[in-house]
Amino acid sequence: MFANGDEIFKISRLTIAWLTIIFTIVWMVCWGVGIAIPMLLTQQLGDQANLANEILRAVTPVIAILVFIPINAMFMVLIERRALALWTVRKGPNRVGPDGNLQTAADAVKLLLKEDITPTGADAVMHTFAPILFFAPSIIGAVPLLAAVTNDHPLFHILNLPTGIFYVLAAGALPVVALVMAGWASNNKYSLVGGLRSAAQAISYEIPLVLSLVTVCLMAGTLDLVKITQQQAGGILNWNLLGGGALVGLNQAIGGGGAKALEAAYPMGAISYVCAGLLVCSLIISFWLYLTGACAEINRIPFDLPEAESELVSGYNTEYSGMKFAIFFLAEFTNLFVVASVTTVMFLGGGDNPIPPYILDKIPGIPQMVAAIRDSFFCQTLHIINPETLFATLWVIAKVYGLVIFAILIRATLPRFRIDQLMAFGWKRLIPLSLIVFIIVVFAREFVNIHG
Amino acid sequence: MATEIQEIDLKTDEMIINMGPQHPATHGVLRLLLTLDGETVKHVEPVLGHLHRAQEWQGQNRTWFQYQALIDRVDYLSGMFTSWAMARACEQLDGVTVPERAEYLRVIVSEMNRITSHLLWLGTYLIDLGAMFGFPFYPFREREKLFDLLEEIAGQRMMFNYIRIGGVLRDPKPAWFDKLKAFLDEFPDRIDEYEAIVTQNPIFLKRTKGVGILKQSVATDFGVTGPCLRSSGIAMDLRRTRPYSVYPDLKFDVISFDKEGDTWDRYMARILEMRQCVDIIRQAVEKIPTGDIMGKKQMAGMRVKAGEGFAAVESPRGVLGCYVISSGGEKAVRFRWRNPSFCNLTILPELLKGCPLSDIMAIFGSIDIILPDVDR
Repeated sequence: MFANGDEIFKISRLTIAWLTIIFTIVWMVCWGVGIAIPMLLTQQLGDQANLANEILRAVTPVIAILVFIPINAMFMVLIERRALALWTVRKGPNRVGPDGNLQTAADAVKLLLKEDITPTGADAVMHTFAPILFFAPSIIGAVPLLAAVTNDHPLFHILNLPTGIFYVLAAGALPVVALVMAGWASNNKYSLVGGLRSAAQAISYEIPLVLSLVTVCLMAGTLDLVKITQQQAGGILNWNLLGGGALVGLNQAIGGGGAKALEAAYPMGAISYVCAGLLVCSLIISFWLYLTGACAEINRIPFDLPEAESELVSGYNTEYSGMKFAIFFLAEFTNLFVVASVTTVMFLGGGDNPIPPYILDKIPGIPQMVAAIRDSFFCQTLHIINPETLFATLWVIAKVYGLVIFAILIRATLPRFRIDQLMAFGWKRLIPLSLIVFIIVVFAREFVNIHG
Repeated sequence: MATEIQEIDLKTDEMIINMGPQHPATHGVLRLLLTLDGETVKHVEPVLGHLHRAQEWQGQNRTWFQYQALIDRVDYLSGMFTSWAMARACEQLDGVTVPERAEYLRVIVSEMNRITSHLLWLGTYLIDLGAMFGFPFYPFREREKLFDLLEEIAGQRMMFNYIRIGGVLRDPKPAWFDKLKAFLDEFPDRIDEYEAIVTQNPIFLKRTKGVGILKQSVATDFGVTGPCLRSSGIAMDLRRTRPYSVYPDLKFDVISFDKEGDTWDRYMARILEMRQCVDIIRQAVEKIPTGDIMGKKQMAGMRVKAGEGFAAVESPRGVLGCYVISSGGEKAVRFRWRNPSFCNLTILPELLKGCPLSDIMAIFGSIDIILPDVDR
């Protein structure tokens, strides 16, 4: 099975090294700007520093994201190329730096130094503006996720919107404008076809995407990302992936609540159990719908028609080079990351541990470890970490990059749809399915006591 | 009062797109002049000649010995077949009898070459369908193994120059046959592996089933040959219908389907053909006699007797014919090639009419043309 175990080992080593570097840097930046400097200022200036501290805290998340996105995109490009190479019996980039670790850094330098060409007859303003408009929403959309994925860390409180998921979806709907702009402004027929295709595709697939998330929000009763994450705490049975809270009662019963907990959660007896089963099926379908819609939304295989290489050369970004192309590239991978994060928050419990606490606390060593971290110098004096955020972040990283790897695996497996088949699949299959799921959830949730 | 419905003339403009010569999916430098209505193809005009290298003219300006080395480049994916066609045409003029061992070796190496050609087609076809980085590299793994074997006897990976007028270049060592047998044992499993990924993949089926149906009348009118023709229900395979070399001694059936084939059938025909090749090679390796391998002395100043000769072989793409006129001198008077890619390409405007833009690649790829073979 592992004929190329050596290669797998190398890729794992590379992943761990990169992730450690990325998140250490981001963590240090956050800590430096948001905690360490304000602490120093307060020590030196007293109350006079309050205003400066507020401003510093407010910009921390933005700085964190701006630092995180480029390095993360570099890592994701690298891991995509290496993982694809693994699955396609090739070697992948392994020459620049140790193990090919610096390949994407070199690529980034190359792209930034390349000549920036605006084709003859192109609308120069639009041509320049399109990549910016494409990139900006991915940053905007990533911001409210920060609070959700760090288990509501005090630094990111400021970003926690009551309509969080709505905001993320709104930001995610913007890039299509940029793609049409890029296609039209390039003065190239292939680009134009690519841009129009992307518009048609994004509009069609946004409906099942949003409906699947609406189903989750309906179960949760809130649009607040942090609340949705917190509701899912307590093991894999509480996650929205499995019933969106319909199995919470079961979880409590196993965890020591016994028959009483079951009684409370499923008041109608057999009908309630059937409805809970229906909810589990519906939410799993919703999860699949979201992944499919998201794949189409961010133009990945098998829905990469806007840039279908064998048909449209490279679609909307055919005429882009240098820095503008780099921004397109960066935004594509950031979008993938944002989509994976949204999936994690909405379906996979955010930073929640899949093993429920009643099992975890019995494992020798774990509670002691948590206590040791909490009492440590880093936590008490420097406020660098607290155990909740640390573990939440680790789980989020595992889940998000797991989904990213899954997307890469899909890319390594499937061919591309044709545009009319894509439309038919979206309108005739996905949208009715998402509506059916939505209606089932509306009725079934009445018979189950959701979230305890 | 009856309401008058005003008729609005909704006219859409047609768009003309040059697909190629520099396009990632035209397999080289073919230029397709497309007239599109939205994403529907109205008209296609293949524009040829971007890769014209005057291969026929070069044949008249090089000695026989030199041209043998050059001719592999006409169809660089199946060089053995071009060499073979030329060798057979010249042998006709010369009246050389090719030793039986050489004939068997020719069958073995050219069937191996057929497999490599189909493997490359399989990979690139999946790329055409958008499986960009996934599947396409699996066939290349086996192709590389075959090329290693061919390199061992011919000295070159792709431009073999192995089949010569009168025989073949080298006699492989017994160990080579062992390696070949080991490969043949392993290869059917590999084909199963490809089929597991591709054949019943729902997206692949959607893209290929019922797309680009090649009618028998169109196929015969335009002179289509090879797997394209056979998948449309006409059992025409030169190895059986006009047998040459030692093919009559080998057991195999012509692969042909009962209906008019679509792109999926053309895919399936090639997969089946690869399995058949394995069988043929096995039989040939079993039956190969010992003996001489060359019936004519190879040297720089060699001549071919005066006269006209024509020979055709069944290449992976179809019937490959070579017509030669010799005056008995150091060079040929005239070379003329009948290239399967060129004839198969001519059906493209017929097949593409009215299909969506994305299907161009699905259909075009399934015909399996190779541009140096079209333009020569």
